[in-house]
Amino acid sequence: MNHYLALVPKYLAAHRKKTRLVIISVAISVALITGVFSMLDVFFQFEKIQVIHDYGNYHIAVLDASEQETQTINSRIDVQNSGTWRTLGSARLNGVTCELGALDQQFAGNLNVELIQGHYPTDRNEIMLEQWAAQSRQLNLVIGDHVQLSFPDGLEKEFRVSGLYRDLGVMKAQGIPGVFLSVNGTHDLQRAEKSIFLIEFKNGVNIRKAEQEIKADLGITEDRIDRNNHLLALMGQSDHNAVLDFYKVGAVLFALVLIAGVLMIYNTFNISVMERVRQFGMLRCIGTSQTQIKKLVRREGLAITLRAIPIGVLAGMVMTLICCAILKYYNHSLFGTIPLLNFSLVGISAGIGIGFLTVLIASFLPARKAARVSPINAVTGSNEIKTPDQKKPGWLMRRFKVEIAMGINNAWQTRRTFWLMASSIAISIILFMGFQVFVDFLYTGLKTTKPYTPDLSLTSAQGLPSDLSARLGNVEGVDRVYGRMFAHVEATFEADKLTDSYKESINRIETKENGLLVPLERSWLISYDKQQMKWARSDLIDGVFTEEQLNQNQGIIAVALNQRNNASTETANWQVGDKVYLETRDGTKEFTVVGVLRSVPFNDSEFNLATFITSEKLFTEITGQNAYDCLDLQISGQNQEKTVQGIKSLLSEDITFLDARQRNAEVNQAFITMAVFIYGFLAVIALISIINIFNTMSTSVVAKTRYLGLMRAIGMSWRQLCRMVLAESATYSLTGSVIGCFLGVVLQRFLINSWLVSFHVLWHFPLGQLIGIAIFISVITVLSVIGPLKKTKKMAVAEVVQAF
Amino acid sequence: MEILRIDQLSKTYGSGETKVEALKEASFSVSRGEFVSIVGQSGAGKSTLLHLIGGLDTPTAGRVIIDGMDIYTLLEEELAVFRRRSIGFIFQAYNLVPELNVEENMVLPLLLDYKKPDGRFIDELLDILGLTDRKHHLPGQLSGGQQQRVAIGRALATRPTMILADEPTGNLDSKNSREVMNLLRLSVERFNQTLLMITHNQNYATLADRVFQVEDGLVRELGGQ
Ligand SMILES: Nc1ncnc2c1ncn2[C@@H]1O[C@H](COP(=O)(O)OP(=O)(O)O)[C@@H](O)[C@H]1O
Ligand SMILES: [Mg+2]
Repeated sequence: MNHYLALVPKYLAAHRKKTRLVIISVAISVALITGVFSMLDVFFQFEKIQVIHDYGNYHIAVLDASEQETQTINSRIDVQNSGTWRTLGSARLNGVTCELGALDQQFAGNLNVELIQGHYPTDRNEIMLEQWAAQSRQLNLVIGDHVQLSFPDGLEKEFRVSGLYRDLGVMKAQGIPGVFLSVNGTHDLQRAEKSIFLIEFKNGVNIRKAEQEIKADLGITEDRIDRNNHLLALMGQSDHNAVLDFYKVGAVLFALVLIAGVLMIYNTFNISVMERVRQFGMLRCIGTSQTQIKKLVRREGLAITLRAIPIGVLAGMVMTLICCAILKYYNHSLFGTIPLLNFSLVGISAGIGIGFLTVLIASFLPARKAARVSPINAVTGSNEIKTPDQKKPGWLMRRFKVEIAMGINNAWQTRRTFWLMASSIAISIILFMGFQVFVDFLYTGLKTTKPYTPDLSLTSAQGLPSDLSARLGNVEGVDRVYGRMFAHVEATFEADKLTDSYKESINRIETKENGLLVPLERSWLISYDKQQMKWARSDLIDGVFTEEQLNQNQGIIAVALNQRNNASTETANWQVGDKVYLETRDGTKEFTVVGVLRSVPFNDSEFNLATFITSEKLFTEITGQNAYDCLDLQISGQNQEKTVQGIKSLLSEDITFLDARQRNAEVNQAFITMAVFIYGFLAVIALISIINIFNTMSTSVVAKTRYLGLMRAIGMSWRQLCRMVLAESATYSLTGSVIGCFLGVVLQRFLINSWLVSFHVLWHFPLGQLIGIAIFISVITVLSVIGPLKKTKKMAVAEVVQAF
Repeated sequence: MEILRIDQLSKTYGSGETKVEALKEASFSVSRGEFVSIVGQSGAGKSTLLHLIGGLDTPTAGRVIIDGMDIYTLLEEELAVFRRRSIGFIFQAYNLVPELNVEENMVLPLLLDYKKPDGRFIDELLDILGLTDRKHHLPGQLSGGQQQRVAIGRALATRPTMILADEPTGNLDSKNSREVMNLLRLSVERFNQTLLMITHNQNYATLADRVFQVEDGLVRELGGQ
């Protein structure tokens, strides 16, 4: 030893157990930061691929761009690729309704239009269609076949099938083939309904600026610009309000991760320093200057960080690796290009940077504190920084057994440690609860398949035969069959119920003398069977939704998000007990709203005043109709093709068969990509919180070894000792949990109410979470003190007393 | 030659009901090479006096002048340097660094001063203290008497002008106490150091050149001039 700083490694080596706990503490904080930020980084990579897959690889679009405009934009240096997408509306292809479009070949890849057979249509009379459509019973086409396209205005033209492209889930689910003409072919037809010029910029281009330039140069107005907001959002180049709101939530939470990391490291150092007040006092006695004490403490911090950071970074990378592995395993074809081992520069540098920075800050303050220790502390044997005198909590003694009172008092006595421990626990809880809002967002903000999502649907304009449902149920592999009837009915209710936005959009609302609205539009009425009602109940905002209630009370269910012109629109503010008057076969009848449902999973193109649901019995009474308009089927996982064949064999020509499986899988895929990361974040945070609490608790027991030995020496029994230590730990965790849960709830509420409302996320009191947290914390508290306590027991009392 | 002068030194702890006047306007001076012992009842204010002399605490009033320097005019940093160079402390509780071995504990004050320890001198000290074969032991592996000898070694290692000892034998049996006392005397004579020692033992008090009695915060020299 030839420098006083050599004391540091010697100290660390002599207190191996404590050093290890401190290193773990720092390492998990670094792991938290590295893990979360690496995952965030990788998340963006995955999500970008997902979004490009779902929404296409373009950034902005210009509607109805002229030849000159496309050329000018095309010649820009910052444009990577561009192409025009034309929609020509519906037509009939050999009698089957289809959607026509045309797309420049060089941009087909950007829009995930993937040729799988034949060639891309280039000649005037060539077309390309989806594989499923070509193979469908109605069309049954192969490459080279000639087809007849008939347009709504009576024009008929012959085309040749030049290629087949990969199925589009959405088109397939609707049963409408998407047909591509050649670009030249559209010029001939001169029927373009809409022409969209899509632009993909090069990497690193400031898209907002480029867009401004394009608009200014060419005099393009805002209403002709469209943006791929999903993609722009991921690139941080979106002005979209909802996106910015979502980013704010992210920013708050990720800032919290940083704060938590800093706080955890700070606490660890602080506790470790404060335990050694006496030693610092002694060093001061023999002439160590304040600067030297600071150096000692900082050196110690550095020594620990150097060991902790690699561990933490590695652990954080492993967490990211797990997420990547899950996603790649789940969808290899989509995410095949992303490497499994993702060295996220952002995450690793954040971990290392913050780790060092924090240790610098975190050891600076305790170092100052240590330096301020008065040498007197050594001689008076006081091992604590003096706290203001306080009344002995006599009431504790009176209320509890002596050892429990002592435990609580021990916790409370050293205020600073107490607050550090409590805040350490609290921040873990706050973090966990904060990230929980992403889960809420995941389930409400991202549409996903629900229990009621059908795999296949059957519809018929004439109504489906009444025995079909039963016959389908007997087909092997069919799990469930459920049907609905739809009708548009005349309905009225008090005009006060209407929302302001609806009133504005209609602008002339007439009411009768009794306050009832004179309806200008019809309402949509849907029938549900028992099973569908059961599924819908989870979406019920108010009231009840059972067949009995509906039938007994002449009841109907009002849907808050009315389906109107293929969109969800709130047209009326519904409440249970509201009266609705429907025109039935037997004249106007009064119905009562017995429940309010958030939304329905179907679209309707009519301009509906309101959407209502009722039982099948009431529906028939109102409309006289008793044949289903739509039958939904869910089929089991195995042998799906055989099942599908079995179903198809039961269908007559006039029944449309819709296959939504591909679309459902795509929707699920988007959900899962998001979910893996969100649950990944939560898992990391939960894991780290657990280790953190565990570690802090253990540290506090280890630090007390000598004190505990003394207590044993003066005759405290083992049981009493355990109770005392547990009482102390429980005091920390209880305080921490109460503070953490309170602030966590406040944070959740704040995040949701201020920024996630536009995603329809609703704030609920998180009772389940709180109960879970309470149980978890209790278990961890007990587990974390038992280990070190047992070790204390094994040691002889004399050994413990000497171990100072 | 005067090494230490104390001038109207007072120390009051707390205020109001809990106010304790631990030291009341003490004044005296000590010459280089003197062995001063301080006696008095427990709680009389002996330790307070010693702490103030050593610059461990701040006085309520008065001055402490060591080697012509008023130590309480020094900045905190200067005071620390002064302490490690000029004063050796020995406490009743040995206050060794448990993680360092005997030799390292002894040279620590030198290292703090960025000085290279004089190996021969340290060996000589170890020899005098009878710790030569223990120099690689940790404090936890030593007996009380041995630990206190290490503490003495540490106090002597920087060759301070003044050694302040607060009941250095308080935790030791009579045999060990005697050894420690002899060692202290020996080194003080050998290195011409000044020793201020608090003791309860009348016998050791009589070994001293001068004896101060502290009673209720008042300092008075016994058999004094
Ligand atoms: N930090 C302190 N705060 C309050 N009172 C103190 C403090 N230190 C010492 N005292 C009081 O000052 C008086 C003198 O203490 P001390 O010098 O330690 O006595 P001695 O060493 O003679 O036994 C005692 O009454 C003691 O209670
Ligand atoms: Mg004393």
